[in-house]
Amino acid sequence: MSKINSTKLVSIAGLVALLALAGCATPPPADDPDAVAEFQQINDPLEPMNRDIFDFNEWLYDNGLTPAAKVYRYVVPRFGRDRVADFLANLKTPVIFINDIFQGNVTRGGVTLLRFVLNSTFGVGGIMDVATPMGIPGHIADVGETLAVWGAGEGFYLVLPLFGPSNLRDGIGLGIESTLDPLSYYLADNHMRWVSTTRFLISGLSAYEAYMDNLEDVKRTSLDYYSALRSLSRQRRDAQIQDAKSGKWAPVDPVKK
Amino acid sequence: MKHTLSQLLSRLPQTLAVLLLASSTLLASPAGAADKSSDDAKDFIQNLAQQAISTVAQRDLADSERNDRFRRLFVASFDLPQISQFVLARYWRTATPEQQQDFIKLFQEVQVLNWAQRFKDYKGENLAVTASGKDGDKGFVVESQINHPPAQPMPVQWKVHQADDGTLKVTDIVVEGVSMAITQRSDYNSMLQGNGGKVDALLTALRTKVDQMRAASGG
Repeated sequence: MSKINSTKLVSIAGLVALLALAGCATPPPADDPDAVAEFQQINDPLEPMNRDIFDFNEWLYDNGLTPAAKVYRYVVPRFGRDRVADFLANLKTPVIFINDIFQGNVTRGGVTLLRFVLNSTFGVGGIMDVATPMGIPGHIADVGETLAVWGAGEGFYLVLPLFGPSNLRDGIGLGIESTLDPLSYYLADNHMRWVSTTRFLISGLSAYEAYMDNLEDVKRTSLDYYSALRSLSRQRRDAQIQDAKSGKWAPVDPVKK
Repeated sequence: MKHTLSQLLSRLPQTLAVLLLASSTLLASPAGAADKSSDDAKDFIQNLAQQAISTVAQRDLADSERNDRFRRLFVASFDLPQISQFVLARYWRTATPEQQQDFIKLFQEVQVLNWAQRFKDYKGENLAVTASGKDGDKGFVVESQINHPPAQPMPVQWKVHQADDGTLKVTDIVVEGVSMAITQRSDYNSMLQGNGGKVDALLTALRTKVDQMRAASGG
């Protein structure tokens, strides 16, 4: 396990170093304090490279994911898509639980466990999120977030191929996360890796379909889509990390009649 | 609820006295200029949402009419000069007064065309104000959530302040931790930086944006 992780970390670090050489943003002149403050605030020293990956992703979305999501939306009605999303979210809860515990958030862990039990039973194997209407909404927790709770900074902004906006810490977290899922191990041991692959593809499609309209909105109204999305995703991530640090589990009050 | 009618009647003089006192203090200070409380801010947001749903979200509305209705509501309840100043950040200082006015107008139109369009897809979501508190000297934060069961409620935070004319105005909306004003500031500042800080370049880009959005929404 530790061997896998360290190999992965070394290769990611190597990759980042290589890419850093390939495309560094030019810092603004030191006699312009406003510009320098801004440069530090957006924390995107690899901006030229990130923009290239961003453009590549846009091409990938425009020519692959968006048409696929539109077909998915056309073929599967809203109710069905919600069932798929709920099912996939339920499959993710073991990893969320592990992260809750590593973050020291016992209450959040308990909530995740309770949701898993409720949704897997009354929710018919997870296809129905029955816990949320009962006033037990879910939350996300991943390795990047856990590292943040432990005190790791974001490093710098990073656009990942396919996955999109991220940062050094969360990118590393994503690599570690792939080694954490008990279900993937079970499937690999039983020669059913194709199930994991299918799950990965459908998860991507389902998540993208849910976000597609919002992304389109941002693209439609922004002048520099890249910067708007960078700001948006960094703020969103900060809010998630603040919630994890404070151990807040209910993002909002339960729905009142 | 256990009060009998006679008990209530016996309290009537006191109640009247309190009401009289309250109205006299209200009369003593000019209506709008009284300092607003966080409860006022709460009511203000609840009202604003109600008004938007009852006027802008109506079905079978022509796009231009929807835009006009939203524009009236938006201009009356958002502090556009203040938001514009925040969004342009350091470029606000280098802009001429004419450029500042142009920016306010164009920024307003981008917002109006975007939000009016969203209300077109209104599917019965409701906004429930959950809490409010003070935020700095003259500011308030109003916490709310958009409910649309069975979806998970979406937390929305409103930054409100008392403008110079004494009325309450929105200065920012924070949806799930994402501030609209900060996002726009980041967007526009990158654009400006890429164009050597020329405010005119930003205004031209915004004009094109407004034309595109207007063509798409038909009004």
